[in-house]
Amino acid sequence: MQKISGYIIVLAIVLESIVFAFYAPAFLSLDNLVNVALSIAVIGILAVGMTLVILTGGIDLSIGSVAALAGVIAAITALKFGVFAGFAAAFAVGIFSGAFNGAVVAYFKVPPFIVTLALLTIARGLAFILSEGRSVGNLPENFSSLGKSSIFGIPFSVLLMLASFAAGWFVLQRTTFGRYIYAVGGNREAAFLAGVKVKSVTLWVYILNGFFVGLAAVVLASRLGAGVPNSGLQYELDVIAAVIVGGTSLTGGRGSVVSTLFGAIFIGVLNNGLNLAGVDPYTQKIVLGVVILLAVLADQYKKHAI
Amino acid sequence: MHKLFSLIFLNVLIVFLTACNQNVTHNSPAGNTASNSTAKKRIGVTLLTREDDFYRELETGLKENAAKNNFELLIQSGDKDLSKQQSQIDNFIVQKVDAIIVCPTDTKGIAPAIERANAANIPVFTADIAAGGGKIVSHVASDNVAGGRLAAEYIAKAIGGSGKVGIIGQPEVQSVIDRETGFKETMAKYPQITVIPTLNGGGVRDRALKAADDLLQGNPDLKAIFCINDETALGALSSAETRGMKDLIIVGYDAAPEAVEKIKKGTNLKADVAQQPRDIGAKTIEAVATHLRGGAVEPIVNVPVKIVDAESAK
Repeated sequence: MQKISGYIIVLAIVLESIVFAFYAPAFLSLDNLVNVALSIAVIGILAVGMTLVILTGGIDLSIGSVAALAGVIAAITALKFGVFAGFAAAFAVGIFSGAFNGAVVAYFKVPPFIVTLALLTIARGLAFILSEGRSVGNLPENFSSLGKSSIFGIPFSVLLMLASFAAGWFVLQRTTFGRYIYAVGGNREAAFLAGVKVKSVTLWVYILNGFFVGLAAVVLASRLGAGVPNSGLQYELDVIAAVIVGGTSLTGGRGSVVSTLFGAIFIGVLNNGLNLAGVDPYTQKIVLGVVILLAVLADQYKKHAI
Repeated sequence: MHKLFSLIFLNVLIVFLTACNQNVTHNSPAGNTASNSTAKKRIGVTLLTREDDFYRELETGLKENAAKNNFELLIQSGDKDLSKQQSQIDNFIVQKVDAIIVCPTDTKGIAPAIERANAANIPVFTADIAAGGGKIVSHVASDNVAGGRLAAEYIAKAIGGSGKVGIIGQPEVQSVIDRETGFKETMAKYPQITVIPTLNGGGVRDRALKAADDLLQGNPDLKAIFCINDETALGALSSAETRGMKDLIIVGYDAAPEAVEKIKKGTNLKADVAQQPRDIGAKTIEAVATHLRGGAVEPIVNVPVKIVDAESAK
């Protein structure tokens, strides 16, 4: 069943690519392929963590704000203690936030929607307070070198994204912990009765997600060359869209990081193609919404048809 | 147990609120009994935000000129939250201030609150951002159309009057749309210059970076980009630098410190249109003062903008 959902999203990507190739001559070029990959790097990294969270039946709305906060703290730290310390601080912020979300969800039984919504505003507020409301820029040169460098023509950010997907795939398909994640999301009670430590699995999934948020924050801040308090706005929506369009079920237990990768590519291609074709920004919003809806409807239809 | 807690909480809240209320009445020197001619006039101000340089400068302009006019300013920040700003205006009405200055968080949405102030016969002024309804005595803002024209003139000159030019905008915001309008108006006078369709950068750096990536990808022969604010310009700059497009010219808007730094360093960011927020603040107070003295004020006061480039930034 997962195989088929994979086919549908790949088919959709091919279809939209054909349409854009007609309307925007620049669309079908190797350069633009790299460009699209670069444009989904941050969202893609975040989507790996989000897939794990959603597979357990949870959700994390705080990722965009936490990424902004981590970026701001990375920039401030980098100014004082150097770039390496800055990046380490970003990871620390991500992991700590993940642990906070996970602990409250797992041990205090607060719905993930509420906890992470709270952290969404808390982290954004902190980011603005720490940065005094402005971007923390004029950083050491090598802060932005990660975001600007590439290996054999492939941007480093894209390689980090691919590595994240590979890591996510490995965790889900090749480890016991990965099977537990599906078990917790598929049927919590059954998992518990079968001896899965549901609380601890939930906590670790959010911590793992926090790690990916830290990584995404490093990539984002490095590409921007600054810690930007209003960056990452509504990333949670883009990321959830990528996960769902890919075919992972919002209720948990069903999906994979591979389908999320396709979901991210699908949305990335759509945004890029609309821009290249010169579609006006108002219309773009509508097209994006309609296409996401259609993709999910197709997924639903297929599920019930089988 | 829960009920007990809520009761205690409610009590504390009520005591706290009454205390606050008393504070307000005690602190207001203008007391309603005092005659209006001798008392300090109280002006309620609700800003869009306090979280950027522009609004900090605007606030300074307000305060400086208020001191000169012997006004007492009650300054609040709407924190970009419409409902918060509406209740701030309602509080000003209850406090019977002499005038209200609003920097709307939402052009359309603020109208009902302004109408309530109108009904209470309190004159309302807007600064920086216009209101979509209610009676406004005077709107004081940068001439955004003129700013767009300035940017267009600068770019046209820099690229020798021919070539492809892009815009990274934010079509949700009226002042930004005005900048774009001015830009396109002036560019229309140059038949050799093609302005390609505007991309939406959302006014924030990360989205602008993506938009610039697509813009430069689709138009490798692009000569210049007009960015509607500095966060947008700095995003576009990251994109241009990553691609090593040394000849691309970027013109930003607002002249924030980080952008000015980049202009001085000789990056792709060559110039900025600078608003003068402190003047906006000062002129708003001026309009309030004139009106309260019974004088006539213009319904729209345009505050001039200027170009900052490597020369003038020094």
